[in-house]
Amino acid sequence: MTKNATQGPLTPAVLHILLALSTEERHGYGIMKQVEFESQGKVKMGPGTLYGSLGRMLEADLIRESHKKVDPELDDERRVYYQITAVGQATLAAELERYREVVAVAKKKQLAPVSFAYGH
Amino acid sequence: MATESFIRRCRNGYAKLLRLYPKAHRERFGEGMEQTFNDLCRERQQSGEGWFGFLLGTFCETSVAIIKENTTHIMQNKNLMRLALGAGLALLIPLALTLLGGVHWSPRALTFYFVLLLGAGLAYELIASKPGTIWHRAAVGIALAAALLLVWMDAAVGTEDDNSGGLMYLGVLVLGIGAIIAHFRPPGMARALFATALTQALVAVIAMIAWGQYLELLVLNGFFIALWVGSALLFRRASRFAAVPK
Repeated sequence: MTKNATQGPLTPAVLHILLALSTEERHGYGIMKQVEFESQGKVKMGPGTLYGSLGRMLEADLIRESHKKVDPELDDERRVYYQITAVGQATLAAELERYREVVAVAKKKQLAPVSFAYGH
Repeated sequence: MATESFIRRCRNGYAKLLRLYPKAHRERFGEGMEQTFNDLCRERQQSGEGWFGFLLGTFCETSVAIIKENTTHIMQNKNLMRLALGAGLALLIPLALTLLGGVHWSPRALTFYFVLLLGAGLAYELIASKPGTIWHRAAVGIALAAALLLVWMDAAVGTEDDNSGGLMYLGVLVLGIGAIIAHFRPPGMARALFATALTQALVAVIAMIAWGQYLELLVLNGFFIALWVGSALLFRRASRFAAVPK
């Protein structure tokens, strides 16, 4: 996972979680809602996928756990918050750069998403 | 609108499902996953949308993740990989002999013996990993070797002819039931193994009355009885060591 997360393309779940954590630390449900919001409802992550990815990202040092605290908007339960690390930020930047390069190549070829979808 | 008791039942069901995760994952993320599920339930309740699709989707998604995590956990277990490799290597001999035409082992038989060897190895790992002395490890090793040998011989006889007598020998493995009752603790294991030895002796007497062949049956059953009793004595010794305060 370490190698995959820092060197190769990220899985969609890991990419979306890093994006969700890029601006502020969040707890599990907070990450889930942020991913849903940023993808305009196209990406919906279940708890199994979310926490499986979080486990692998913690191992790869992409994120870290912060101290438990209460989310005032939800309830009085103390929750674990997750923060992006410097490694995570670098990995996210590298991945976004890779996406930019891919999009640049597609633009140079004057390819639009619709041309893939309909095979023109 | 779902009732409070329905939501509570859903939460309890989800908490039970989470128990199927590997221990390390459960301890680290179990609480967070329960909180997230509770948040999702609250969201569903507030939105007034249906529950069936949500529950089915969430339980299925988590079940798939549980299978994935357990598979990863097993694959990372070096001991298991070593055991599987060892069992595979041991079966290379009959496989080679089958290919050379010396004996005939069907793919079913090879699979059966592979599972048998792997199962015995895993059982040893499981029991011997609990805190204990060298006596404890030796006792576990002997008992498992005897059980493995008995099942192996029984299965081999079963493939050749009518195995009504062989089935009787499987009854000797009351050891398994005794071990479960005793929770693999040395004093209980010692009692279970003495009971196994006694059962083996009874089966031997019945077999001698039914088939004759006194000397052959005496030697064969005597060998197994010696293994059971030996293992029982080692377990008894292990329990005495465990009882001595350090």
